[in-house]
Amino acid sequence: MARIGVFVCHCGENISATVDCDRVAENASGLPGVVHSVDYKYMCSDPGQTLIKEAIKEHKLTGVVVAACSPRMHEPTFRKACAEAGLNPFLCEMANVREHCSWVHEKTESTTQKAKDVVRLLVEKVKRNEALQPIKVPVTKKAVVIGGGVAGIQASLDIANGGHQVLLVEREPSIGGHMSQLSETFPTLDCSQCILTPRMVEVAQHPNITLWSYSEVIGLDGFIGNFTVKIRKKAKSIDEHLCTGCGLCTQKCPVRKIPSEFEQGLGTRPAIYTPFPQAVPNKPVIDKLNCTYYLKGRCKLCERVCPTQAIRFDQPDEIVEVQAGAIVLATGYDIKRTDFFPEYGYGKYKDVIDGLQFERLASASGPTGGMIRRPSDGQIPKNIVFVACAGSRDPAKGIEYCSKICCMYTAKHAMLYKHKVHDGTPYVFYMDIRAAGKDYDEFTRRAIEVDRTKYIRGRVSRIYEKEGKLVVVGADTLLGGQKVEIEADMVVLATASVANPGSEELAQIVHVSYDRYKFFAEAHPKLKPVETNTAGIFLAGACQAPKDIPESVSAASGAAAKVLGLFANDELTREPLVAVVNRMAPPLFSTCIGCFLCQPVCPYNAIEREEFKTRDGKLLKAVARINPGLCQGCGTCVALCRSKSIDLYGYSNKQIYTEVSALLDEALV
Amino acid sequence: MNKLKEKAKELLSSGAVQVVVGYEEGTGGKIRPAFVSRPEDADKLLYNADCHHNLALYLYKHETKRIGKMAVVAPPFVLRSILILTTEFQLEEDSLVVLGVTPEEELIEFANFKEIETWVNQHPIGMKEKDREMLNRLNAMSRDERWQFWQNEFSKCIKCFACRGTCPMCSCFRCTVDYNAPQWISVGSHQLGNFDWHLMRAMHLAGRCSVCGQCGEACPMDIPVHLLSFQINEDIFKMFGSRAGLTLKKESLLSTWKSNDVENFIR
Repeated sequence: MARIGVFVCHCGENISATVDCDRVAENASGLPGVVHSVDYKYMCSDPGQTLIKEAIKEHKLTGVVVAACSPRMHEPTFRKACAEAGLNPFLCEMANVREHCSWVHEKTESTTQKAKDVVRLLVEKVKRNEALQPIKVPVTKKAVVIGGGVAGIQASLDIANGGHQVLLVEREPSIGGHMSQLSETFPTLDCSQCILTPRMVEVAQHPNITLWSYSEVIGLDGFIGNFTVKIRKKAKSIDEHLCTGCGLCTQKCPVRKIPSEFEQGLGTRPAIYTPFPQAVPNKPVIDKLNCTYYLKGRCKLCERVCPTQAIRFDQPDEIVEVQAGAIVLATGYDIKRTDFFPEYGYGKYKDVIDGLQFERLASASGPTGGMIRRPSDGQIPKNIVFVACAGSRDPAKGIEYCSKICCMYTAKHAMLYKHKVHDGTPYVFYMDIRAAGKDYDEFTRRAIEVDRTKYIRGRVSRIYEKEGKLVVVGADTLLGGQKVEIEADMVVLATASVANPGSEELAQIVHVSYDRYKFFAEAHPKLKPVETNTAGIFLAGACQAPKDIPESVSAASGAAAKVLGLFANDELTREPLVAVVNRMAPPLFSTCIGCFLCQPVCPYNAIEREEFKTRDGKLLKAVARINPGLCQGCGTCVALCRSKSIDLYGYSNKQIYTEVSALLDEALV
Repeated sequence: MNKLKEKAKELLSSGAVQVVVGYEEGTGGKIRPAFVSRPEDADKLLYNADCHHNLALYLYKHETKRIGKMAVVAPPFVLRSILILTTEFQLEEDSLVVLGVTPEEELIEFANFKEIETWVNQHPIGMKEKDREMLNRLNAMSRDERWQFWQNEFSKCIKCFACRGTCPMCSCFRCTVDYNAPQWISVGSHQLGNFDWHLMRAMHLAGRCSVCGQCGEACPMDIPVHLLSFQINEDIFKMFGSRAGLTLKKESLLSTWKSNDVENFIR
């Protein structure tokens, strides 16, 4: 026989101001099975919890209903209190009479009635609750960080310094990401590579970090603490153990005219190459699509000049499976190229470039050695126009968000230009100057006031070529929308930051959700900004949304802290609110007929195939099995299963049915 | 039809199959399913336009599976059902010989299920004229009128579950309606639960119906219950451009999504 205790909380006046709490308690005492019912001002306070604990012992309660706030708020508190009094915590339920009742209704009779109803439902439910035991799963204390930009580097270093193994997987031949391409960084104007390369070297030398460059994640199985990551190590066509990184091959390679990705197409590279001199690892790869040997079957010049015989033309791609307990996604961002803008010439004007290209022009290690020279004829531009919000904040372009970094880097570009071309004039077309951040507004003011950048508030409608000049047609909204035309020598578009190509595919491989712009989605925009909806997978940097370097690094350290927190335990304890497929004696084994339609609907890949076989291996039946380590208890499979073979612990068919009946019974009266 | 009989004889006498599931003439000149396990009985097999039973129903039942390897006489709707059941892991290719029969009453032999997939895609089957008319009539009604129509129809239901019994897609051995802890749907022969039963069944068939119409055919109370599934089938075709039973890909229409789906809300 059920012995249920009901505890009605006033929550100060949060509940009692609109709900008559003592009448709710009194009403509950008359419900079948309720042996004890009280109300109290603050149930979550120490005395309140003591009230519950003592009642459990005194009245030998078999179930507890706390009528108070949302279970999101205090369910753990009350379940813990119950556990301390010797009652299985899952025999405690919360009736939400605050968010669902007192906060959303006026003080009327029906508000109190609703509170009574909610309590009644939960009393009926808790009678059918089962004592559940937490699920324990082991943890593999190794992290895989995907993406070796500044966020991935930071996350890897933090986790490695915390004493755990890290595998850093980078798609390109070198780590460094976009930050390694930047000339100088705002708001301090310190050299990007000078601050980044020591970190890159630290990654390469750290005893806890394994770096796999030129590699891609192609599959993911398992669950928090127990992932299996499938990685393709693309053939670099060199033996990394023999290669000393002397660079002779890259000097001798006869194919020299390949546009360099690192230089954003402003420079060239050979077919066997390292992306830049400070690359980590500083060992070349052969670009098979452009190498003469791979294209025509002869050349092998690099093989002849290699002093250590490290060239391996027949090296295959290698597919490796790695066990890991946590995953950090740090795949970064990309920018729109100039060809995205028909109004700015579809990329056909050589001297209309994007922000990253300007970074290379301004970089001391760039194709012009740091001189600002325009790509078409190498002249130093005297009039230069920067267009902020190129694509961003533009619903017509399908990019409604602010790319966030452009206001700052455009100010930086204008300053760098002015520092190098003293007699030049930089113009900036902008929508708003968004410079929120430590020392940020001071920085943009400096660009305007000290470096005399001409800021024009308005957008650029068109750019066209006329007599060797680029005519930039825009509006000055501070002059009442007056038309402005500037004859420029060069134009820099601060193009929109977008999700990296392949981010959608990766999201689908690792089963994390993503937004409509294909940036990865966090579990909660404020309170879980580095977690994803998939437990054990974390986000760092601009793969989540446009972020500048300080933000990316903070997010990376945040993600690393989450990973270290996870790795602090040998086992994970999970709430046992998971779905389960029923089992029964042979020859039925289960009412599940093994149609496996539940498999594709499971967002967590938690549904496996379990086969029952005879001793000599003959298959008797295959049915679904839900991996409790992976299941998040969303219940989608429960709703889908035609034979009702799946039930959800804590929210079973019985419990839900009883709740609904309890509500309807009263309504029918 | 002699070809069918010959083939059945050959399969049975060679021992390639132990039973041929097909059609025969029953009492009162009506057609009924036949289970032929001796070569000499193969002569009673027939096929004509009146053969409406969806024989796919028998292909996964323990009672028939126990006899041994099966051959099945398969008009187009049975072929579709076979494909659906295969994608749902209820049938295995090597346990079945499929003797396809075209609406022109010709025998087609399929070497494998892949060939069935190709064939059904080349030979679309439409609804019967009277079902098409009925659906048009229903769709022309107002929401209230339609509600009233189905209220009336379902009020006749005696919950004999013949619709379920004759449908190969009702492959669960324990149906939702048999689930009694708690009893979600009332099973007694009264009006309570009639609506629930038929809507639940329609939902469970959504995206899985081979449009054979057997459920309506089997109903002793003449409820056009098959129209529910037919309409859902049409809706799914309109929304997702696909029909059930045309593919061997293990992706149910309504429980999978593709990155190029028109509806991107699901992402």
